[in-house]
Amino acid sequence: MSGGVLGVALRRIGVSLPLVFLVSVLVFVVLRLIPADPVAMSVPPNATRAEIEALRAEMGLTLPIHEQFWIWFAKAAGADFGKSIAFAQPVSRLIGQALPATIELVVVAAVFATIIGLAGGLLMYRVAGGRGEAASDLASTLIMSIPEFLWAIFFILLFGVALNILPFTGRLDAGITVGRITGFLLVDTLIQGRFGAFLNALSHLLLPSMSLALGTAPLLMRVLRSSLMEVGNEDYMMMARLRGFSERRVLVHHAFKNAFLPTLNLMGVQFSFLFGGTLLVEVIYSYPGLGSLMVQAVANTDLPVIQGVALVYAVAVLLINLGVDLAALMLNPKLRIAK
Amino acid sequence: MSRSQPAAGQAGALPAPRRRASLRPWRRAIVGGAIVAAIMLVAIFAPLLAPYDPNEQDLLNQLLPPVWAGGNWDHPLGTDNLGRDTLSRLIYGSRVAMIVAVAAASGALVLGTALAIVAGYFGGIVDWIVSRLVELWLCFPPVVLSLILIVGFGVGLRNVILAIILVDWTRFCRVVRAEVLVVRRNDYIDAARLAGFSHWRTIRREVLPAVAPLILTILSLEMGIAVIVEAILSFVGMSVESTIPAWGVMIADARKDMYQAVWGLVLPILAIIVTVLGFNLLGDGLRRALDPKLRQRVIQ
Repeated sequence: MSGGVLGVALRRIGVSLPLVFLVSVLVFVVLRLIPADPVAMSVPPNATRAEIEALRAEMGLTLPIHEQFWIWFAKAAGADFGKSIAFAQPVSRLIGQALPATIELVVVAAVFATIIGLAGGLLMYRVAGGRGEAASDLASTLIMSIPEFLWAIFFILLFGVALNILPFTGRLDAGITVGRITGFLLVDTLIQGRFGAFLNALSHLLLPSMSLALGTAPLLMRVLRSSLMEVGNEDYMMMARLRGFSERRVLVHHAFKNAFLPTLNLMGVQFSFLFGGTLLVEVIYSYPGLGSLMVQAVANTDLPVIQGVALVYAVAVLLINLGVDLAALMLNPKLRIAK
Repeated sequence: MSRSQPAAGQAGALPAPRRRASLRPWRRAIVGGAIVAAIMLVAIFAPLLAPYDPNEQDLLNQLLPPVWAGGNWDHPLGTDNLGRDTLSRLIYGSRVAMIVAVAAASGALVLGTALAIVAGYFGGIVDWIVSRLVELWLCFPPVVLSLILIVGFGVGLRNVILAIILVDWTRFCRVVRAEVLVVRRNDYIDAARLAGFSHWRTIRREVLPAVAPLILTILSLEMGIAVIVEAILSFVGMSVESTIPAWGVMIADARKDMYQAVWGLVLPILAIIVTVLGFNLLGDGLRRALDPKLRQRVIQ
């Protein structure tokens, strides 16, 4: 059984590798369209023409574009994305610092999104057909019209400024420092046994992750509800009811188990959107992750950073989709036989 | 839209309860359409409606609150940190939102649908290439890809529209391709070919009408998405030129003063939400009214 899952996993990884290559070609080509000159931005204004030409040659910009690409790609394959123009640091170090923060945020947000999405979907199914249906429909349409970055600002105004009960900048309060082991604050604080710092880090995660979750959950709710409705007409649901099981038991043990798979498939797409959503949410919460790094790099036209971060985003999306596909495979035996 | 007329016309001859039932599926689309139409009108007639030039600074009247929060009727919705009139900026901001919504969503429709129909109708190698292209595009979170494209193209209204088209064509392509694959299996497609229709004529006369309701629904939802993407890009300063008022820019500006002047932040947020809600209600309503079976496929 696990052999089948492993085989599919290997095949999926085999398909993903060429995609990663094409992604890097795409990013490289698009960024070469750039109207600004990366050299002009990294030299002092009084540099002579000869100095600029020398730097241009040193940066490899005099080479034909496909040679530039191969040099960059060969290094990128070894996680060397070159040196940031604005920060004067290796891009891989900048990414290494930012990535755990973003992953932590995404994981917490995904947990919230799943809880809200599934609970909301079950609730919407329960009220379907009744008086609550129109209200729940309208509510989900309204919530769906609010993108995560507007939730982020709204939460800052409500919980940060008006009620002043939750922090909304950075990962920790100013006075707290945590030794870096994994880079995941929730893990590091627990390893070091510092529960105060753990709670502090968690409280900093609450608002940004809730904004992301609310941007993601409504669609999960809707899909779960409509697949519950489809399942609701199946014979085994009728049988379970006839056998006298409580409505709650029928819903959770019979309907939910079967209706969950379409929702799970959607989660792959949704969680990769969620990953993209971190970009703006991080900027709004001054959260030092990949998104903040990307937006800073874009503001500085820091090409090596933009390229590196874009590639990391793409790889992350591929990994999320792979993970969701494997989860579906493990939960649904039918998929294993079919292929 | 044309399908509403026969429905309403038939309903006239039926008893009252049935009549209400037949209009009911359209209620949502009508409400959404009304919201969108209202914002369109505001955008078109912005110069007539706005009390001030949106860039006119009044440094003696900075950060005025709206009239209900202690402001005055000179600036009904208050002013920003440079004393620019919030109402006028909101009204002019609707222009950017609507231009991007219409142009970017239509562009994505044309590109995505063309590729989808070619791929789904002809199949084979074309289908393989288009499907791999979609997979490649889906590797990027849309926001990240549009940001990279804007860095490449440079800022400006036209480039923003182009970037959104180049990011979001996949939304049309994926869904429409799947639908074309289903439509293609119908006997009437074979019949059309047997009757001597060329491929182009078969696509135009048989395939396109069959997928049109689906396309219309995605178009409406995509317009809402385009409004959000433009707001995101202008929030990070990567959208229109700085002299053009846009809702995202207003949010970014007002964020610095959120402790003193909260309404400057809340109002453009509400403008975006109402606009997107209008498009979503319209799209959702069209989906329900045109074909309840589509629900599943359109959602993404």
